[in-house]
Amino acid sequence: MRDLNLLIGLAMGLNLVALGSSRLPSIIRATALQGVLLGIMPLLLEHDIGWQVVAVAVATAIGKGVVIPGLLQRAMRAAHIEREIEPFIGFVPSLLLGAGGTIAALAVARSLPLLPEHAKSLLVPGALASMLTGFVLLIGRVKAISQVCGYLIFENGIYLFGLLLIGSTPLLVEAGVLLDLTVGIFVIGIIVDRIQRAFDSLDTRKLTVLRE
Amino acid sequence: MTVGPLIVLAFAALTLGVVVGRRWPRLWLALTLTGAGAAIVASLAVLFGAVDWEWRGAFRLGGEALHLRLDGLSAIFLALVGVLGAAGAVYAREYWSDAHYPASAPRGRAWWSALLLSMMLVLTLSNGLHFLIAWESFAIAAFFLITLDRGQRAVRSAGWLYLAASHAGTLALFAFFALLAARTGSWDLGPMRDQAALQPLLWLALFGFGVKAGLFPLHVWLPSAHANAPSHVSAIMSGAAIKMGVYGIMRFSGWLPAPAAAGWVVTGLGAASALLGIAFAFAQGDLKRLLAYCSVENVGIIMVGVGGALLARADGDAAWGRLLLAGALLHVWNHGLFKGLLFLGAGSVLHATGTRQMSRLGGLWRKLPWTAGMFAIGTLAVAGLPPLNGFVSEWMVYLGLFDAVTSRGASAWAAIFAALMLGTAGALALASFVKAGATVFLGAARGKRAAEAHESGRTMVGSMLVLAALCVMLGLAPTLVWPALARGVAAWQPAWPVAPVPQSLQAIGGAQLTLAVLLVAAGLFAWRRLRGGVARRAMTWDCGYAAPTARMQYTSASFAGIVGGWFRWILRPELALRRPRGLLPLRAFRLERFPETVLDVVIAPVGGLIMQTASGARRLQHGSLQAYILYVVAGLVALGALVLTAGVR
Amino acid sequence: MMIVVSFLARLAWWLLLAPLLPGIINKVKAWVAGRRGPPVLQLYYDLARLWQKQVVMSTLASPAFIVGPAVAWVAVLGATTMVPLGPAGATLSFRGDVVLMLYLLALARFATTWAAMETGSAFEGMGAAREVSYAVLAEAAMIAAMLTLAVQTGSVSLATMLAPSVGTSAVLLAAGLFTVLLVENCRVPFDDPATHLELTMIHEVMVLDHSGPPLAVILHGASLKLLLFAVLLTQSVLPMGTYSPAVAAAVLVAGVLAVTVGVGAVESLMARFAFRRVPLLLTTSVLLCVFALLVAWQGAA
Repeated sequence: MRDLNLLIGLAMGLNLVALGSSRLPSIIRATALQGVLLGIMPLLLEHDIGWQVVAVAVATAIGKGVVIPGLLQRAMRAAHIEREIEPFIGFVPSLLLGAGGTIAALAVARSLPLLPEHAKSLLVPGALASMLTGFVLLIGRVKAISQVCGYLIFENGIYLFGLLLIGSTPLLVEAGVLLDLTVGIFVIGIIVDRIQRAFDSLDTRKLTVLRE
Repeated sequence: MTVGPLIVLAFAALTLGVVVGRRWPRLWLALTLTGAGAAIVASLAVLFGAVDWEWRGAFRLGGEALHLRLDGLSAIFLALVGVLGAAGAVYAREYWSDAHYPASAPRGRAWWSALLLSMMLVLTLSNGLHFLIAWESFAIAAFFLITLDRGQRAVRSAGWLYLAASHAGTLALFAFFALLAARTGSWDLGPMRDQAALQPLLWLALFGFGVKAGLFPLHVWLPSAHANAPSHVSAIMSGAAIKMGVYGIMRFSGWLPAPAAAGWVVTGLGAASALLGIAFAFAQGDLKRLLAYCSVENVGIIMVGVGGALLARADGDAAWGRLLLAGALLHVWNHGLFKGLLFLGAGSVLHATGTRQMSRLGGLWRKLPWTAGMFAIGTLAVAGLPPLNGFVSEWMVYLGLFDAVTSRGASAWAAIFAALMLGTAGALALASFVKAGATVFLGAARGKRAAEAHESGRTMVGSMLVLAALCVMLGLAPTLVWPALARGVAAWQPAWPVAPVPQSLQAIGGAQLTLAVLLVAAGLFAWRRLRGGVARRAMTWDCGYAAPTARMQYTSASFAGIVGGWFRWILRPELALRRPRGLLPLRAFRLERFPETVLDVVIAPVGGLIMQTASGARRLQHGSLQAYILYVVAGLVALGALVLTAGVR
Repeated sequence: MMIVVSFLARLAWWLLLAPLLPGIINKVKAWVAGRRGPPVLQLYYDLARLWQKQVVMSTLASPAFIVGPAVAWVAVLGATTMVPLGPAGATLSFRGDVVLMLYLLALARFATTWAAMETGSAFEGMGAAREVSYAVLAEAAMIAAMLTLAVQTGSVSLATMLAPSVGTSAVLLAAGLFTVLLVENCRVPFDDPATHLELTMIHEVMVLDHSGPPLAVILHGASLKLLLFAVLLTQSVLPMGTYSPAVAAAVLVAGVLAVTVGVGAVESLMARFAFRRVPLLLTTSVLLCVFALLVAWQGAA
């Protein structure tokens, strides 16, 4: 339980790192690290660790920690950008929002009727906080890559919620989430490529031109 | 010396002062000093004695018998009124003299006595109806004092804003006292803690007294009123008049049962008031407006103490509540003293240079050495720095909050929030007053007016000296006033009886005294070693600038630029900018104005909406006789229909 | 008698050891850069040399220009009397002394900025403005850190507060307090003590016009403040109370040394932040301390 809480605590810290960074490589690295941490969590939660669980955990870690960040870094290099320009929600306000949201998530989770084994762990607060962080990044940032990372962090939050069910439907949860993630990334990867080709920039505000 | 005759003497002297003020200035000064002195002695007798004073008369005013009371709580405020009343009266002799202001100076003296008299009545009257009468006369006396210099437009509009806000508060107080009388059956005031039906009334009292106290967001009248009033009036307004609002909140939160949320709301509002008040203060370029906003911050600190005491009372009379309330009461005194000192100093600067704009002053320490020294003492006190009095009261509030946190009760989170806000506000206060003191008194003169200033006369400097001496005394010997504070706390909550001086306060007193001695010794040693020809004078080196000018210095706006940017979301500055163009630019300027945000963003639009609806409704009044008769007929028909349908049912 | 001896011993420790720290920092920076660097005792030589020099005062400055450094030095020394030195304890200890310590440091800051504004120069005004502005957030972080220690130990006196348990809150508190140490002592990434350009200065620019003995007093006071923060940081993070007196003393010295080397390493490996990014870093330190408070609250519940 303590190790699990430590990992989730680190993941919540990485949320705040992603909110405060203005450099795209830092955001991608924070998201990747968070993915790896979440990938190895089932190993701590499962009671009998068979080869399927290990395989899925390793695949998740590689996928979230190596493959997807690699794709994002390739897109970043192709677009020749390294920095987030002036976002809609400034860096300090988004950091304060994330911190406030984390504290609020802790308070809300305390008042929910959870099972006794879940009440002591940080799974629910971590999930709520990651979802909020993902939303802040999606809404507040201008560059598409930051928004993709926000989406990934949001998915991590949903994954944490899914871990609550690991006792009853173990393998299904991991597999389902991994599939969901792969489809999402493929779609986003294709769209990012298309945006880059059409507008020669990843500034998503240019998408408003499409409405005519 | 019994309290009763002293109170009678004070009232008599001040009433006579109202009459003689116009014609005989010296007699008026003597009467005012007598009245103030009698009030101070009476309050000290109650505070350091053991018995409260109470008097019921047979004389009836408005159908209610007179009932006067002076207990620990009101005595604390009465002493402050006396000190500031005396200091301001002496100061006004030269600052608002008959020679310079022949029309308004006589009026000013009469209204000064009226103000002191009505404030004393507010503090001693223990009957709801009479309290309202005294409260209203206090508001009116203050209005006439604020608008002494009626010729200026800014002063007039400040006066109207003050009057409107004051009456909004008084309206709430009318409702409060009327409901109180209806529910308890009589207008008489006294401890009523056991009547649970009175709980919701405390919100009305909080609003009504909060407007007078200047609690955020009810403070909208404070900045313009205190900035535009004559400086001795600003001193007593900031020092004593807003404390009447604080007194009201303290008195009735002590006598009435409090709703469960009251402690949280008061603490939250106090903490927000503290931080936002000083943020506004830091951004101002007008010296007196800066001081006015700083009063909002200090009222916030006092309210944190009161709110904490309410939380402690709800938490089973925890011991930390006593410390918080004692800190709040001491801060009432401390703030009155150092804010009075700062306003009198600002008045001295205004008297010498004719301007309140800090960016047109500078280098005044040479021309006004005494004012500069007194203002520096006031600056140290307001920033809450050891070894002066401001630190002692803030220390008590901090210790109370820390105790609340370590007790891990239900209200610990309010204490954590309040402690963080107070810490930030304290650092901002230090920044604001380094800005104020340095921009006005240090460096080089930024304009002709600053270069040609002259020091104020003996009466002005003398009154400032008295207040500064009191600040120093309260800082070096805080244990002397502990019995008075304990009496005030016991009057608020009898379950917290008068306790002996806590050991930590003795330690603080000793530490402050040692520190003061060491500082004076170090300063003297440093100055003596380097006096005379030992120190060579040269132009400011400044990393090699060959020809610095006075206009190169940091102005007040540039000093506040960084933090002003952080708080832009609430400060909302209006900027007029014309950048230098070309090789030899002729004109360039940057004008920044910080309007009162709550007034402009919240209240003015609501007022505009009301005016619009009213103007729309006015269209019904067009003066046509036939239409008016039509209205009468329509009304009768409607009334008839109503009666018929009601009768059928 | 023993009280006087121990008081003098502690005073000697603070006063004599403080100038060593900037020397160690400069040695670390030199070593990382591949140089030999100035001797570790350089600041002692500098102080001795400055004490014998003449004072040059600006024509615009008032007597407070000379008195300011003296006030600042006395204030910092007063603050050190309340910080316990491991097993040796503190000279002055009572309930609520932590607030007095924080406000004595604020008094030192006031005196330094007042003296800086005396010269009527734009540079010093700039440094003073930056110093007081950053102090706003640094103060919030310090209050949060002190609240964390109070929650962990249930006491409000520095002598008993600095005995925490090791855990996550210690790590968060260490990070937060280290950042506060960097900002309060004007180190990279907030200020670069090595350069003398107006773009990078906070503390250095405030002392531009001081010379002779007042400058010596200012330099010694700055090193004293660095030592105070290092001692505070070491004792907030390591559980000194659980060691025997000899071990605790050794741990304290090692901790202060580690902090000093850490400051030197940070100065060598990082560049100064652009001014518009400094509020972000300060907010991070406030949040680190607030989260340390939350973890401590949970832990002690």
